[in-house]
Amino acid sequence: MTQMVRKANAFEILNHWVIAISFFVLTISGFGFLFHLEQLNSVFGSFNNTKVIHNWAGVVFSVSLFFTLFYYLPEALRLSSDDIGWILKAGGYFSKKAVVSPQDKLNTGQKFYYLFVLVLGIAIAASGFIIWLMPGVRKWVLLSHLVHNISFDLMIIAFPIHIYLGTLANPGTFRIMVYGTVPLEWAKKRHAKWVQKMGL
Amino acid sequence: MKRKALLISPELCIGCRGCQTACKSWNQLPGAKTTNRGTYENPPDLTPDLYNRIRYVEMPSETNLVRWLFVRQMCMHCDDAGCIKICPAPGALFKTKEGAVAFNKDKCIGCKLCVAGCPFDVPRYDEKDKISKCHLCSDRIAEGLAPACAKTCPTGAIAYGDRDDLIGKAQKAGYQKVYGQTDLGGLGAIYAFKDTPKIYGMDERPAIPESVVFWHRVLKPLAYIGLGGAVAASLIHYAAFGPKREEGGEEK
Ligand code: SF4
Ligand code: SF4
Repeated sequence: MTQMVRKANAFEILNHWVIAISFFVLTISGFGFLFHLEQLNSVFGSFNNTKVIHNWAGVVFSVSLFFTLFYYLPEALRLSSDDIGWILKAGGYFSKKAVVSPQDKLNTGQKFYYLFVLVLGIAIAASGFIIWLMPGVRKWVLLSHLVHNISFDLMIIAFPIHIYLGTLANPGTFRIMVYGTVPLEWAKKRHAKWVQKMGL
Repeated sequence: MKRKALLISPELCIGCRGCQTACKSWNQLPGAKTTNRGTYENPPDLTPDLYNRIRYVEMPSETNLVRWLFVRQMCMHCDDAGCIKICPAPGALFKTKEGAVAFNKDKCIGCKLCVAGCPFDVPRYDEKDKISKCHLCSDRIAEGLAPACAKTCPTGAIAYGDRDDLIGKAQKAGYQKVYGQTDLGGLGAIYAFKDTPKIYGMDERPAIPESVVFWHRVLKPLAYIGLGGAVAASLIHYAAFGPKREEGGEEK
């Protein structure tokens, strides 16, 4: 039997699904607002409901984003020269031969993706709450409307790539979202420094 | 159908506020208790129950030390309307075939973004947080009637008709440039000002906030271009480089 190591605990997995689903709901309803997709009424009922769902999904997203701080932030900030090595090789995604520098529990791409999501997540959540809770305060609403939409555009570009990298591009990684474990041999290759630190 | 408009002539206005009353009467809006603020202007601002009001502007000139200007404040029925542009709920704000910017409270989701999008600080909200503003008596004009305010005005300070005709008439009467002739694609409430708009307390160059225009032109299309582009890039990468595998034990 292949020896497995635990990369994500149960709460982490659950939290990731919560943020994923809330993000999905927010995106669909957000697109509905942007492009007046009345077809969505067959799912949400009416735009009045869509607004309520969008707002509360935003609350769920924000809480979930808060919990990620404990899991990913310390890891994401642990940057070293190996991360420069990773960047120089573009993570090995554009060459089968590239040898990538040894990686921590999160590789460089994952670290930066997390920081990206964190910054944009805070921006989109804060601006969303301002639009929701300070309606009519023109200056703030205009600024928030801009911030909300810029963050959304950036997130909607990053999001498909995140899914691609977590599924098709890296077979075997999606199981982390389900079981939280990966084969030790695989981890040794992908996250050498992490495995080393665990003393395996 | 020809675009309709209201031509407002402050110099003809006698400040009777019949238009305020007629508007309330047609739209069944309750009156409000106000206090004396030392001016005949009343109420002090547009409310959900006050779609239009006459502003009393005291603006002494060299020849007239007690010059009073009566300037009407109302929804301008912009051709390029910031409120419609920013509104996220389809059907909440819409243009009628006459060019009026009307609303449907059932469709309004009460987000109040239109307040941020409107260059004239017009939209107000009722107790259910639904938009409330002048709709150019869209129900009347659809039947070929004049809006209640224009119908009631005893001096012709509010004239209703085909927009082109009204502009032509104003020009013939000596007004070079009618306020709102070209702003925001042309306003549906145009003003025959004898002096600069500023004297009348109006914005010289009213415009939709730049951030809203930028959002409309760039950020909105970028949402689906970005999404589509990222999906396409991922698939192209997959086709060109394939998945990353760690097979067997050999290093690659
Ligand atoms: S009814 Fe005519 S004259 Fe009277 S306040 Fe209204 S616009 Fe002015
Ligand atoms: S004045 Fe304001 S509320 Fe009226 S049409 Fe223009 S943007 Fe909309």
